[in-house]
Amino acid sequence: MNIPYVLSWLTFLPLIGGIIILFTKKENSSLHRTLATLFSLASFVVSLSLLPGFDSTVPQMQFLEKASWIPTFNVNYQLGVDGLSLPMVLLTTLLCLISIVASLGINHRTKEYFFWFLLLQTGMLGLFVALDFFLFYVFWEVTLVPMFFLIGIWGGPQKEYAAIKFFLYTLFGSVFMLLSMLAIYFASGTGVAGSERTFDLMQLSQMAASGQLQFTARTAMLIFIGLYLAFAIKIPAFPFHTWLPLAHVEAPTAVSVILAGVLLKMGVYGLLRISYPILPQATQAFLPILIVIAAINVVYGAFCAMAQKDMKRMVAYSSVNHMGFCLLGMAAVMGNPNAAYAGISGAILQMVNHGIITGSLFLLVGVIYDRTHTRDIGAFGGLATRVPMFAGILIVQVMASLGLPGLAGFVGEFLCFLGAFGGSFGPHNFKIWAAVSVIGIVVTAAFFLRMIKLVLMGEFNPKWEGKLPDVTFREMVTLVPLLALTVLFGVYPSLVLDLINQSVGQLVSLFTVSLS
Amino acid sequence: MNTAQSLFLLAPEIFVSVLAFIVLLGEAFAPMRKKLWINLAIVGLDVVLLYFLLFFFNEMLPGAKMMGMDQFSEGLSLGFGPAFGMVLVDSQAIFFKLALVLITIIILGFSLDYHEFADAPLGTYAALLLFSLVGMMLLVSSIDFLLAVIALELLSITSFVLTGFIFKRRSSSEAAIKFFLVGTFSTAIFLFGISYYYGYFGTTHLSPILNFSAFGQKPDLILNFIFIFLISGLGFKLAMVPFHMWAPDAYEGAPTPVTAFLSVAPKVAAIGFLLRVLSEHQAMNLTPVIAVLAALTMTVGNVGALRQTNVKRLLAYSSVAQVGYILVAMVAGGALGGEATLIYTFVYVFMNLGVFAVLMIVAGQTQSEDVGTFAGLAKKSFGLSVVLILFLLSMTGIPPLAGFIGKFSIFAAILNSNYVWLGIVALINSVISLYYYFRLAHQAFFVETSETTAPLYFSPALISCLILTLCVTVVAGILPNPILQWVRNVIGS
Repeated sequence: MNIPYVLSWLTFLPLIGGIIILFTKKENSSLHRTLATLFSLASFVVSLSLLPGFDSTVPQMQFLEKASWIPTFNVNYQLGVDGLSLPMVLLTTLLCLISIVASLGINHRTKEYFFWFLLLQTGMLGLFVALDFFLFYVFWEVTLVPMFFLIGIWGGPQKEYAAIKFFLYTLFGSVFMLLSMLAIYFASGTGVAGSERTFDLMQLSQMAASGQLQFTARTAMLIFIGLYLAFAIKIPAFPFHTWLPLAHVEAPTAVSVILAGVLLKMGVYGLLRISYPILPQATQAFLPILIVIAAINVVYGAFCAMAQKDMKRMVAYSSVNHMGFCLLGMAAVMGNPNAAYAGISGAILQMVNHGIITGSLFLLVGVIYDRTHTRDIGAFGGLATRVPMFAGILIVQVMASLGLPGLAGFVGEFLCFLGAFGGSFGPHNFKIWAAVSVIGIVVTAAFFLRMIKLVLMGEFNPKWEGKLPDVTFREMVTLVPLLALTVLFGVYPSLVLDLINQSVGQLVSLFTVSLS
Repeated sequence: MNTAQSLFLLAPEIFVSVLAFIVLLGEAFAPMRKKLWINLAIVGLDVVLLYFLLFFFNEMLPGAKMMGMDQFSEGLSLGFGPAFGMVLVDSQAIFFKLALVLITIIILGFSLDYHEFADAPLGTYAALLLFSLVGMMLLVSSIDFLLAVIALELLSITSFVLTGFIFKRRSSSEAAIKFFLVGTFSTAIFLFGISYYYGYFGTTHLSPILNFSAFGQKPDLILNFIFIFLISGLGFKLAMVPFHMWAPDAYEGAPTPVTAFLSVAPKVAAIGFLLRVLSEHQAMNLTPVIAVLAALTMTVGNVGALRQTNVKRLLAYSSVAQVGYILVAMVAGGALGGEATLIYTFVYVFMNLGVFAVLMIVAGQTQSEDVGTFAGLAKKSFGLSVVLILFLLSMTGIPPLAGFIGKFSIFAAILNSNYVWLGIVALINSVISLYYYFRLAHQAFFVETSETTAPLYFSPALISCLILTLCVTVVAGILPNPILQWVRNVIGS
């Protein structure tokens, strides 16, 4: 099946839906719900149609679209997907559809809710398919505004503070990205005919590989740090993670799913898509710091999660921990090429798996929060006998999250560790940091198992007698696909790995070529 | 060039002056038909606007030379003596005049249904606005300090009267007095600077500084001294820090349409003139001074806005900060800096007037100018609150809106210069500005009022202004190429 301009359709279908919703009556909630579901579903179907046409045996960008946008600055509207972005696109459309189904229960200001949600979806999808730095930046910023409103209007008690904190933090990061973007742009040419400056990401990475894009070590490092600030705040990498627990706790369930499932990936994606190929020297110089940050994320995130009494906050901190694994894998890009290959593949796989697993964990916390209006771990007990289906799904997802072999989480984490263990940079050896990070896995297991024990086992709290029906049909619709994928990717990870193989190979070789 | 040709160059100014007199005298004959005079002024200005738009299309379509207007792109001057004219009509002047006429039309639209003007003499009001427009149009065209002083005074004196136009309200008169004292003081400083300038160069004409580097003159301390006075004098009009103290009080006390006018028009005109005065600031060794002033203006404006509870005061500080960004573009200098100055000035006009348009619609119903006036706006009119958000996002510089294109040009220009630190200051400032702009958004979306109020009144004039400003803010953000190309032609010519 070949749809012309398929990536544009995919990206802008949700926005079209959102604009249609703007023109409907405020009171007609069911119409808003239907429209949002339909347009998100359409976007999902279109994204699935990419799969048969996608050639996973070549690393090149596919489904390319290009149109001149701002010729004065040589900005182009340029879209395409490769093995790195395709899994992200599919993850986004799937999680958005599921989140919209999960938010069908929202009764308050539905028109605005679904409008912002669909706008957010367009922003995220656009980011993953953009091949022009300027366009990437535009989509990056577009995601901020709907998120601000989604947290600030439909969130919990401290929603307004959480919303503005999220917005200020991310904007702070992204203005530095703007500066770095311009610095790269000015270095890419002299501005006269024949040496036009460019924002084209593919062209920039080719220039970096062939040595045409030259910076002094200091400039390159400053540019890298500008980009890193933006991406690290999004990931979130220690010490820029403090907005995350707050935003997660205050956000409504579906928004938490998107936040953990997709928005955090934007940071890792940005590093892999922009920083790594365009600034290989600076990246290389930064790796010894990155591995330390990764280890802190893993261990510190896990310990923080252990200290939480609120389940949502616990899952939020576990995201900090899990994104640390991504960084761990990515830090392995130097040294042994096999390790680099494993590390980068692991990081991408971990992004997909974390999106699926943590997405469902947030949905599950939402399920009991909807019924009891509390997320306190100590408030429950013995739920396994009362809500067996809920308990079953929760146990599977928790096991996946703590890295039980056979479920999705394990493969990604394993590859990340494999990479980090083989990674090195000059005299630095990353083995020690890989070893330190193992503590994080143990602690993750500890806090998740403790949660299982306190919530599912033991005495049933009589306060919830009659208030805790098992998972409803709509909730099943959101949980089961993710459950199936968790098992599927655990048993057969090649489904994802085959897609990303060539692109990872290209990234690793580009990295080694440009540094040789 | 003969006299007739010279007069033709000044045709728009002459036309607007005549229009002002017609409106002023007309009111004496038909004092009851207030709105007629405003409408007449709007129609008259539309003619001037069309005239300037012809130049615009001429710039945009280099192939199509309409009515022999291509000669203007080189710039023609007139005045006494063959070489040193006082007035320069080049594409940069026309760019600013186009913006100024548009601003005045929008402000007249704002004034049509403004509640405080219910029993005010609107003909006088319109005439004052038109006179002030003449002053500004002359200012952006003047290449002689003497003409500049006269133009500035024409602008200032009408502004004082406009600020105090609601005589019955004490705060309005108070604002006018404050504005007047500070304004005359600034003129005195400006004149003092000019006297030194004359002593230094032997002329009041701008030509020595327009081609400073070509004359092979070395900058010295006296020159810096002179320029500190000249920049201070203009700085008052721009509300540049440390000459911004009058702005919040004057903005708060003035009738809202006048506040909207003050927040854009004198600034645009002063920038148009400053761009000429400082065109060779690097050669004159003035860049560090302007850079420090720019950094201060942005920071003081933004930090000052953080704690304001009155929307007009908040917008006053915000406009101080916005001028700071424009100064950053001037510091950058060169073609990129000039382009960025023009783009940001143009874009700023529309997004700022857009916020005022929303304020006027909302405050028209709540009769309050407190930040809380926006409370629950999303519930009253979701469409209007989305429009408000678009303007605020544009002011913050979030893509894909016009404000982002403006900021992007500024950052591009400054990064290409030696003043990267100033770019970083500007970036951090735009993050700070998010906080107070979003306090308005916070009121509109997050605060839910339980009381049911009368529906908002959307007067046709205000709606037209809103649509115009919104279109520019959105279209120039999504498809910025025409405006970028336009200013490139203006600066390049």
